[in-house]
Amino acid sequence: MMCIMKIKKFIWIFILLILWQITALSGKVSPLIFPSLGMILKAMVHAIIQGELLSQTLFSIAIIIEGLFIGAILAFVLAIVSRMSESLNSLVETLITLAHPLPGIALLPIIILWLGTGRASIVFIIVHSVLWPLLLNLITGFRATPKVYSDVGRNIGLNRLVLLKEIHIPASLPYLISGFKIAWARAWRALISAEMVFGAVGGKGGLGWYIFKQRVFMDTAGMFAALVVIMLIGILVEEVLFERVEVLTIRRWGMTEK
Amino acid sequence: MIELLNVTKSFSKGKEKFKVLEDISFSVNKGEILCLLGASGCGKSTLLRLMGGFDLPDSGSIAMNGSKVSKPTPDSILVFQEFNQLLPWKTVLQNVIYPLKVNHKYQSDQKRREHAEKYLEMVKLEGFYHSFPHQLSGGMKQKAALARALALQPSILLMDEPFGSLDALTRQSLQTVLLESWDKTGVSIIFVTHDIQEAMEIADNTLQRPRSIGSSEYMKLYEKLYTILCEK
Repeated sequence: MMCIMKIKKFIWIFILLILWQITALSGKVSPLIFPSLGMILKAMVHAIIQGELLSQTLFSIAIIIEGLFIGAILAFVLAIVSRMSESLNSLVETLITLAHPLPGIALLPIIILWLGTGRASIVFIIVHSVLWPLLLNLITGFRATPKVYSDVGRNIGLNRLVLLKEIHIPASLPYLISGFKIAWARAWRALISAEMVFGAVGGKGGLGWYIFKQRVFMDTAGMFAALVVIMLIGILVEEVLFERVEVLTIRRWGMTEK
Repeated sequence: MIELLNVTKSFSKGKEKFKVLEDISFSVNKGEILCLLGASGCGKSTLLRLMGGFDLPDSGSIAMNGSKVSKPTPDSILVFQEFNQLLPWKTVLQNVIYPLKVNHKYQSDQKRREHAEKYLEMVKLEGFYHSFPHQLSGGMKQKAALARALALQPSILLMDEPFGSLDALTRQSLQTVLLESWDKTGVSIIFVTHDIQEAMEIADNTLQRPRSIGSSEYMKLYEKLYTILCEK
């Protein structure tokens, strides 16, 4: 089943690429704003050989990993805090209600005022985009833990903290993984927009800055090359990394459908 | 062993208060099996959870080996009706070993493993040590849960309709497994069920156990229990 789904996906991607190529070569659109696949590929190869696309990508990925890491730690801490008492739980929920609907990009002007336009600001915005969905999923996962698991845990003599670590966290793994998927997607969005606004810091501005810069040079193919890189990374993380994690954990343990 | 004195428990639902248990007193001695028999919703599970220390009574006292029951302890293990009482992220063997580790039984992993295997063998689960719970049938899951409980060598097993969701044949074989394990370990058992026949197969406390199902004695006892239940 999974395999057929994947093949279907590839066939659709192939069809879309052909449609793209037909449009580009039809002569009805200017190659200046709608480059052909060949031009995009050439721009990509050129940018990779030249080294800039790769180094900007690595710069972006490093920032995103840092943001995800800090966001995840904060989410765990807040989720644990919310379990400690009724009032603390209410505090954490209030924080989520206030902060979750706020798009990271809306914070940009304030962050520039507070932290300047350096790397720290981008990390801050990623942490903001990652923290709330992750926290929300963690708390939901804790709540959804079947009562019988915690009863068993209490019965064999686990204290509250160990119960959380040994029972609630593994039991909410399906929620945790989907939380990370949402967080990852949000982090990318926030990162690219922030990089576009902040521009280069010491010659490096990440993929967002790279796309922005290519527009200034009217290098449309180069812009698409960077978009393709973003998509490829997205697919790699979604279909390979998350897939692998799911196969090794929740699917192996029968904690999810499929 | 375990002694209940004038135990009362009520639940509030909105403004109304429901008295679920009123003035319950009884005791179970070491090595005895007691069946709590009654229709659904009559408070059997509530009583069992009180005995396990999962909830506290409104009034009255519950004491185990002379000391008051105030929280769950590994000395009295509750076995649930739900098939998902095993931790899905651990294999059958790990599910049995983990509570031993938590309670510092044995120094080495090797010893704990041998101990766990002994109990899995006792409930006839050889060959499934490395399966994950979702790969097991309902009956096998309940066997594993029983092995996990027995391996801790508790003084008392509290069983909350553990075979309630099984088909008749599987239930019968699990009843046999339970009685055999009880023979070997000498653990006290409080067994909740709504099934008169099951109560008669397992209990040795309420009345003498009539072994042969067809006998007139058996039918008499069945009738008697049935009338008591229906009057309620």
